[in-house]
Amino acid sequence: MTMMAQGGGNVERSGGGSSGLADVVGLILDKGIVIDVFARVSLVGIEVLSIDVRVVIASVDTYLRFAEAANRLDLYAEGVKPKGLTDMVQDITQAPAQGIAKGKTQGALEGAVEQIEDMVSSRREREPEEASRRRPRQ
Amino acid sequence: MTSPADAPRYLYGLVSANTPLPDGLTGLGPSGQVWKITCDDVAAIVSDVPEDRRLGRRRHLMAHEAVVEAVAAESTILPMRFGAVITEEGVTAELLGPHREYFAGVLEELEGRLQYSLRGSYDLKAVLPDVIQSDADIRALHERVRGLSEEAGHFDRIQLGELIAKALKMRRQQDAQDIIGALVPCAAMRGVYEPEQDGDVVNAAFLVERARQQEFEEAVDEVGGRLPMVRLKLHGPIAPYDFVPTMGEG
Repeated sequence: MTMMAQGGGNVERSGGGSSGLADVVGLILDKGIVIDVFARVSLVGIEVLSIDVRVVIASVDTYLRFAEAANRLDLYAEGVKPKGLTDMVQDITQAPAQGIAKGKTQGALEGAVEQIEDMVSSRREREPEEASRRRPRQ
Repeated sequence: MTSPADAPRYLYGLVSANTPLPDGLTGLGPSGQVWKITCDDVAAIVSDVPEDRRLGRRRHLMAHEAVVEAVAAESTILPMRFGAVITEEGVTAELLGPHREYFAGVLEELEGRLQYSLRGSYDLKAVLPDVIQSDADIRALHERVRGLSEEAGHFDRIQLGELIAKALKMRRQQDAQDIIGALVPCAAMRGVYEPEQDGDVVNAAFLVERARQQEFEEAVDEVGGRLPMVRLKLHGPIAPYDFVPTMGEG
């Protein structure tokens, strides 16, 4: 969620209590104290899936920025559009909205996370089996 | 809350031992509870972990951030990076005990300060015409390209794009300097990052005294008003993620 600023012209605001997923991901996956630096972490069986999530989020975020930028360029009104470009722009603009989820940036991002979660989960679900097959029985 | 020494604990952040936890915190574990494990004058904010021991779902990320920000709203917290899990015993024996003085020192340094993250990018629709208009060479080339067919104007177009990119970069450096220069007087510390995309102007984090929050926000509004072609996104106040040590005690 973001709120428009009350006072200042073109400053868009989001606060601690109203952070969207994109803001949160940018902070908590890249920043903050890394436990491994201070403690020998030897917990078996904890899986952190966020690295996979981040890769998808990063690329979706990039595509959406392009689409947003393209959207803002009113190429039709200029009357100088080179042929072919507008088709391309339309493709870019429509792809993320149709391909992923709800059209809104945030919705699309969250859709991406759900997707990668499913992808990762289905891949992980096979692993314990393989691992236990490899492990010698006692 | 008593628990076996090897029970896994999810870590949200570190605080001074006397920091009160706000009401209504919801952890990412099945109990939903969030509590403190204290070691002398420092404490870790922890919860249980998901039953399947997999971390990374959207609700886990959001829960981590919600807990950190609820604490940060009232107190000083060193936020952990997402995914920190350690045993109940390890919290005191490995994390807090051996590094107690160090964490206390960092907490003291950050006391009474919060972070704002600021990103700025150009409104390309506004800035591109302006870049073209304000440079005679670019303007002339733009005029010429308009009259040419796509094939005939191919190399001119490349040159035009190159000139625009250069002009945009110069403008970006100037505007970034302007923005950061306007905010530095209101901030205790800053971290400035390289822009990631072509249209980006600034990507920076500022550590601001709680008492100067309003002053800082007004300065952002002021510089935002002065640069109408830059769309600023201000995120904060948040926990000081960009100002916690990530490389250890060295």
